[in-house]
Amino acid sequence: MKKMEMIDRYVYAVTKRLPETQRKDVSDELYGLIEDMLDERVQGKNITDNDVEEVLLELGSPRQLAQKYRGTKKYVIGPELYDMYILVLKIALISVVAGTTAVFVIQVILNPMNTLDYFIDYIVSFFTAIIPNVIGWTTLSFAFAEYFSEGKLSGELSKVTLDKEWHPSNLAPIPDPKRRINPSEPIIAIVVSVLLIVFFAASHEYFGIWIYQNGEMAHVISFLNENAYSSILILIILFIGLIIVKESLKLFYGRWTKAMLIYTAMLNVISIGLIIVLVSGENLWNPSFMNELVQYNVVTRGTDAFRTAQIIWEQVTFWTLVILVMGLVSEIIKGLIKVRKQSKN
Amino acid sequence: MSDAHEHIDKLMQELRRGTITIGALSQLDAPQYGYSLVTILKEKGLQVEPGTLYPLLRRLEKQGFLESKWDTNETRPRKYYLLSDTGKEALGLLLKEWESIVTSMNDLIKGETGEENGDD
Repeated sequence: MKKMEMIDRYVYAVTKRLPETQRKDVSDELYGLIEDMLDERVQGKNITDNDVEEVLLELGSPRQLAQKYRGTKKYVIGPELYDMYILVLKIALISVVAGTTAVFVIQVILNPMNTLDYFIDYIVSFFTAIIPNVIGWTTLSFAFAEYFSEGKLSGELSKVTLDKEWHPSNLAPIPDPKRRINPSEPIIAIVVSVLLIVFFAASHEYFGIWIYQNGEMAHVISFLNENAYSSILILIILFIGLIIVKESLKLFYGRWTKAMLIYTAMLNVISIGLIIVLVSGENLWNPSFMNELVQYNVVTRGTDAFRTAQIIWEQVTFWTLVILVMGLVSEIIKGLIKVRKQSKN
Repeated sequence: MSDAHEHIDKLMQELRRGTITIGALSQLDAPQYGYSLVTILKEKGLQVEPGTLYPLLRRLEKQGFLESKWDTNETRPRKYYLLSDTGKEALGLLLKEWESIVTSMNDLIKGETGEENGDD
């Protein structure tokens, strides 16, 4: 390779890694620098290929030099987001592994003959779908967050640390331990929520009373209305999705704050709205539940057992919804109390 | 062992990083181009790689501490850097800080190992 070509290539390799606007300037400067360094090295004698090589080696690899010019390190996920990223990744993996395992276990219970097949599917799915999907999507989301917040996050941080307005009297109080949220609570809630979503999306047909005939499972009397299931499913997933958002907020804030109380209240009101939509449609529960019980000889029409079953069915379906609504309302009240306790102190 | 050496190298680099900035700023009352600055610093015992100094000069210019001008009259075009007003102010503060660091560090080091290494 000719001397000049080697220099050209080196300068190009550095500048192509820099923003367009700086290339020309840095390029001119580098040519000047390399020539100066060569001049000093040969002291008026002829420049050999070897001299060029040594000068370039002294300057270091184009990648390193370009990095020094760029100054800031490029991150896919920077230090500000990293902890959150790992936390979310852990939760997502635990949830999905638990969900897949649950599906596997249900499959085996229902159909023990195919255990080996299910097991192979189960293991294979980890490598083909689950792990790449979970890690991929989580990483991609965070990489987006990093990309669009580039500089802003670290800017925020430096603003905090270099804040000139800072005064000891402005120090935030140490959070009351009573207000603190133990991270295991939201994590468990998220994992259970994901499990429920997996269950409702994949195996809802087993959500009911299992009828065995001749030692085999012959039928499931569904609790839910199978005819309207697709629309019910959307509402259920929305409902559970809202819970996941809420629990993620708890994880993020780590304690009850006014902001979190407001978000929680909003999410819970929406959730209650969803329940009302489900109920008012009157197609959430299986309308022929009692008929099917009779059909499969679980109870006989006209007997006391039938009446008891009917009362239980009506009461349970009614109170399930009432308890859900009460749970959502009580969570708002609980948050309200915790926030108020703090502001009194 | 080599691990320890790597860590030591890193410590050295970290220690030098700030001093290079002060060293470079201190020589830029008069315009200099990158390589002339490398030479000046080297003559005074401060070894700086051009690959470190050139990006540093650009950064200091971007931050407003230096002004630059291309001189195309000579045989090869060169970019000359000169302290800006902000740069002068910054250098003043840096030097003050440097003095106080040197004083405290001397106190510290001599206070602890003064007896054994009293040769300086």
